[in-house]
Amino acid sequence: MTQVYFEDVAEGAEIAQLKKNCSTQQLVLWAAGSGDFYQIHYDKDFAKGTGLPGLIVHGALKNAFLGQLLHDWIGERGTLRKFGCAYRGMDYPAQDILCRGVVKKKYSDGGKHFVELDVWTENPEGKKTSPGTALVTLPSKS
Amino acid sequence: MADQMYFEDVKEGQELAPIKISPDKSQLVKFAAGSGDFNPLHFDEKFPMLKAMGLSDNIVHGRFKYAQVGRLVFAFAGYKGRVKKFGVNYRGMDMPNKEITVGGVVTAKRQEGGENLVDLDVWAQDVDGKKTTPGTATVALPSKG
Amino acid sequence: MADEFEITDEMRAQFGVDGTPWTYEVTTTSVRMYARGIGSDDPIHYDVDFAKSQGFRSIVAPLGYIGTPVFLPGKNDPTFGFPRREGGPRLNIPFKGLLDGGTETEYLDVICAGDVLEETSHLADLKLRDGPRGKMLFVTNEAVYTDKATGKVVAKQKLTSIHM
Repeated sequence: MTQVYFEDVAEGAEIAQLKKNCSTQQLVLWAAGSGDFYQIHYDKDFAKGTGLPGLIVHGALKNAFLGQLLHDWIGERGTLRKFGCAYRGMDYPAQDILCRGVVKKKYSDGGKHFVELDVWTENPEGKKTSPGTALVTLPSKS
Repeated sequence: MADQMYFEDVKEGQELAPIKISPDKSQLVKFAAGSGDFNPLHFDEKFPMLKAMGLSDNIVHGRFKYAQVGRLVFAFAGYKGRVKKFGVNYRGMDMPNKEITVGGVVTAKRQEGGENLVDLDVWAQDVDGKKTTPGTATVALPSKG
Repeated sequence: MADEFEITDEMRAQFGVDGTPWTYEVTTTSVRMYARGIGSDDPIHYDVDFAKSQGFRSIVAPLGYIGTPVFLPGKNDPTFGFPRREGGPRLNIPFKGLLDGGTETEYLDVICAGDVLEETSHLADLKLRDGPRGKMLFVTNEAVYTDKATGKVVAKQKLTSIHM
């Protein structure tokens, strides 16, 4: 993976996208990894019993996907300072979840080179189901 | 945990206190998490393999039933006993939310190599009484003497 | 074809040939997760202080649990987690169906959280039987688990799979 540098980044530019599509098995692996065994993520009848249309993807998993998107982008020499997202819409297994990010602002402060981003997950209809923001630092070429 | 069982307390033909469990999907998903066996056969009702096997529902992991036999034998041995060996064969499938009864009976007691050994027949059986998971176990128990 | 399948001397020659060893970890977190997975509420599997008060090094692994194989992407099976090790026996089995046939564990010591085990596995037995739907091949693999800290074998486990 090539390292992205502060000088390479332009405000308004989109970072490399990350596409996900969760099988039920992926949701169960996430349950195992996270310790969240709430049944709406793997028991269809339980999910329907709570009024949901079917199984849904864990919000925290989408948050983790955004973390992966940022981790992949900043490379080994970048640092992730802060990131978060809100859960505004549901995503379902066997459906694409597109993770995206756009550079909002870049600035240097105290010898560090900061980049603020808008990040989100998007469903196949283009709806932002988990909008959020992130703050990272990137290395400088100079 | 019940009181410690001692070798002197055990009689051939003695039955072990049974364990009853009706594993729901959440239990099977937790077993997947604990065992590392994430075969969708056990939790995804749309998994294509189910139809190919002529099944209409997910099935309980064989190893889950093995672990239930393990619980039974471990409880029998107590913290001072040591399980030397336990094994089962998988002869039939069990479905989620159906009661599985795990039982055992003492078949022999013997002393060997300075150890007080108890041989057991063990099994998991379904609601119809069919032993889907028969096996044997050998436990070393402490002696009062 | 499956109907013509016979066990050959070449296959039998693979009995006892160990594959590359793999590391299995028994941790407090993994023991608790396994105990939850089997529905046990025995504190010996959860409470380190209690387990120590009963004379154990740490919480005790439930019977049947001999650690979790270290998972490395591309090197372990993504569904079952077991290592796709290099070396060791290779059987070309023409059967499509696969069932778990049986499990047998022999314990030489108690397994507790904190144990790091080296597992080696080999083909132990092959049996061909005639079943209702044709030939059935029973493949038994034996795994031997050695405590890396003491060098002692702590458990041996035989797994039988049925191919048909």
